Amino acid sequence: MAFNYDKYLRLEKMPTLWCWGCGDGVILKAFVRAIDKLNINPDDVCVVSGIGCSGRFSSYVDFNTVHTTHGRTVAFATGIKLMNPDKYVICVAGDGDALAIGGNHTIHGCRRNIDITMIIINNFIYGLTNSQTSPTTPQGMWTVSQKSGNIDPTFNATDLAIASGASFVARETMLDPKKLEKVFVKALEHRGFAFLDIMSNCHINLGRKNKMASAMENLGWIDSITTPLKKWEALPEEEKLNVFPTGILKEDKIVREYCDMYQDVIDFHQGKRKTITQDDFAKKI
Amino acid sequence: MASAMTEYPGNVPVWVNKDNCKACDICVSVCPSGVLGMRYDHTSTLGAMISVDHPEACIGCNECELSCPDFAIYVADKKEYKFAKLTDDAKERQVAIVANNYMSLDLQGAK
Repeated sequence: MAFNYDKYLRLEKMPTLWCWGCGDGVILKAFVRAIDKLNINPDDVCVVSGIGCSGRFSSYVDFNTVHTTHGRTVAFATGIKLMNPDKYVICVAGDGDALAIGGNHTIHGCRRNIDITMIIINNFIYGLTNSQTSPTTPQGMWTVSQKSGNIDPTFNATDLAIASGASFVARETMLDPKKLEKVFVKALEHRGFAFLDIMSNCHINLGRKNKMASAMENLGWIDSITTPLKKWEALPEEEKLNVFPTGILKEDKIVREYCDMYQDVIDFHQGKRKTITQDDFAKKI
Repeated sequence: MASAMTEYPGNVPVWVNKDNCKACDICVSVCPSGVLGMRYDHTSTLGAMISVDHPEACIGCNECELSCPDFAIYVADKKEYKFAKLTDDAKERQVAIVANNYMSLDLQGAK
């Protein structure tokens, strides 16, 4: 008996619509294993996805699922979470979905520190619409919209999340599914906004046009631009710009979660709590 | 409706759900002991299908199952099957399979 994925999947939707070797499938598998490891009841999980290849994620898992409009995953998830503070709410978005059109919602989700796990499947390109430049496309890469090489500077998603105030920030790649599973477990256990930048491959729409047409060549390239956090810290300053650190980059357990603070306000108005002061919400440093 | 086939078929270390496999070569590339290889199959998506060539060498590391994006390959539980130890022969075979573009070794230079 192998690990039983059946009870978490919508088997009538299989096989997946993703291309051969797409990292989204590996991330889906690691996510399902993490849910199983934590023994979470499938009825207590809500997966919210946006538009893009990553938007298919919610179709394949047999939890409560919402397939929302482009970039608005965090907005929908915030509403779901405020009504059901004891449930697990997970956003799945692509790099274009979460950082370009939905960048505004992403930073304000981070700022509120609401208990949502946000999984960003970062494949460096708008894959579904055939390779237009996305905020994370490396400079110099050929895309359909910039045919002599991309000139836009690259976005560092985790730096954005740390600066916006997310309390759990991590980066992983789909090269190591065991590590991926561990980071999902930690993010689901964390109370507060968990921001996960998962680097994935798109050898079809990024790779074919940039001399890495097979899944393995693309994965080799991802391996070359990432390094574990401890090794990254030891690198000289000028080399740090070319590689991304992986692992847990920020974990803050002191800052208060949004639903808890909201409950305080509800209690005050219902008369269960006599006073409410600024100190109740102040960030304790 | 494609089934997921997670049940143990008996007396094999690795088994494949041919309905789900898209022949992306990832499982072949992550195997440490040269158990797997690809073979031409005109009924499959990319014209190839996984073939379990050396089941006796499987060490049960589960890497192929975890790295498969399409829920197509499964590894037996350690209680159900007695797995082999990793040998130098197996490591060399894996290097040869990767050099052969992930095709089975009896299909030399096929791709």
